[in-house]
Amino acid sequence: MLEVSHLRKVYGPDPSAAPAVADLDFTVGDQEFVCILGSSGCGKTTMLRCLSGLIPFTAGEITLRGKPVTGPPEDMAFVFQDYSRSLLPWMTVRRNIAFPLRYKGIEKNDARRATEEALEAVGLADRGDRYPWQLSGGMQQRVAIARALAYRPRILLMDEPFASVDAQTRSGLEDLLLRVKERYGITVLFVTHDIDEAIYLGDRVLVLRPPATVGHAVTVDLPRPRNQVLTKQEPEFARLRGELFAAIDGGSVAA
Amino acid sequence: MNRRVLGFLLELALPVTVLVGYALWASRAQSFYFPPLDEIGRYFGELWLFDRVGSDLVPSLTRMSAGYLASVLVGVSVGLLLGMSRVLRTAAEPVVEFLRALPAPALIPFSLLLFGSGDSSKIFVIVLGAVWPILLNTIDGVRGVDSQQLDMARAYRIPLAARVWRIILPAAGPRIFAGMRTSLAIAIILMVVSEMVASSNGLGYFVLEQQRSFAIPEMWTGIILLGVLGYVLNWLFLRLERRVLAWHFGLKGLAGPATGGTRSARRSPFGKRRPHAPAPPAPAASSARSSASSDGEV
Repeated sequence: MLEVSHLRKVYGPDPSAAPAVADLDFTVGDQEFVCILGSSGCGKTTMLRCLSGLIPFTAGEITLRGKPVTGPPEDMAFVFQDYSRSLLPWMTVRRNIAFPLRYKGIEKNDARRATEEALEAVGLADRGDRYPWQLSGGMQQRVAIARALAYRPRILLMDEPFASVDAQTRSGLEDLLLRVKERYGITVLFVTHDIDEAIYLGDRVLVLRPPATVGHAVTVDLPRPRNQVLTKQEPEFARLRGELFAAIDGGSVAA
Repeated sequence: MNRRVLGFLLELALPVTVLVGYALWASRAQSFYFPPLDEIGRYFGELWLFDRVGSDLVPSLTRMSAGYLASVLVGVSVGLLLGMSRVLRTAAEPVVEFLRALPAPALIPFSLLLFGSGDSSKIFVIVLGAVWPILLNTIDGVRGVDSQQLDMARAYRIPLAARVWRIILPAAGPRIFAGMRTSLAIAIILMVVSEMVASSNGLGYFVLEQQRSFAIPEMWTGIILLGVLGYVLNWLFLRLERRVLAWHFGLKGLAGPATGGTRSARRSPFGKRRPHAPAPPAPAASSARSSASSDGEV
């Protein structure tokens, strides 16, 4: 689905300057849920911006379904960390979701149906006429997810989407994400700095070390559907947590 | 309900006091310059209901609306361009700063040469003075658009035209309206000033003519009418703003410290809303040279 090979990104005109992403290789399979785990400043955001085609990269190759990424691809949707800044406050929730569809060449009726379905999938069917700022933070992030879902992407990039909501809301959003991922059959690349979240959500977890190289990778062998209580009680969950913690820690010491 | 009535009475108290005070004083003072209130009132009725509405008020309003609308169109469209392009902004800055520093009335003689004494010369002067607050506020508003909203638009492959219309323009809306409000006052001032030079009708002409023929009560009716006009136009403007920027006031109302929600936030220190604080500052000001300031001068 998504292949990243020898990705390198240097900011500024001088190619020999310290890279934000040095030499990144990984692949994401079809309908896989891959979590990228890294402490702040390890190049996660730069990597995502390269993958989404928002900024050009210096060297290497990114291909999505066999096609090289040179600009924002059609098959991709992006969920930003700061929901309050990526939703448009002058549009209702429904219009926020439907907004990108118009320009994707989707017919009006289909767009309306996709919007309603996405609203329903995130449990906001009755809030479509509200404005984003009338909703709680968790609901706003659900709107952002609904916007991404209605866009019908093959792959969903998420940049620490649940980092700024409280813990209770967060676990609700995690379960919601797992449900809609199954329902829509999409591939997810999820960036987070939270070890538990990465293990709970992912099929695989990649640990990113500065300057954005994959320092460690684990396959999460936990049964699905996952459960906030039971999954986190599994011995395997605890083992993975220890392993990933050591991997991140080792990275930061080495850096 | 009671509070509203009380508030209304309170708002009414000062104007009524001033009027009554003036009436009492002027009826005794026998001043040539300050005629009694009832006399002014009588003349006001005679002149403005509706004898001179067509000959003076309508031409004034036409010039002002034409000049104001042209200012909005030019200010917003040029502001969009300059706000979005750093190259254009840098190139235009000296010219903009020079023209903006020029007092518009100073160009009345030139404008008369260029356009003659008709409406075009007056409209030209109005635009020359009123365009700057709109232009500068639009530039600031465009530069202050949240980068994440623009990233979102690019990630979802929203075409440029839609980005401008659906994201940049609404996001800059609060700032644009702040500029438009300043410009409205400037447009009224310049309407009067331009009509005082080489004109044969209009409110400015009327006031000056009455003064020249020592028709003092008549002159006062013109001045009062101008005050009322400004008040009404401002009121209409606020209503329009509240409608167009409903989302902005709602958002501000929730974010504000007042627990009373949206209603309290919509009220200003003066009951009628003052120009609101400009939208949050640009998150990433790319250039340290700010070519724009929040309010303009004539």
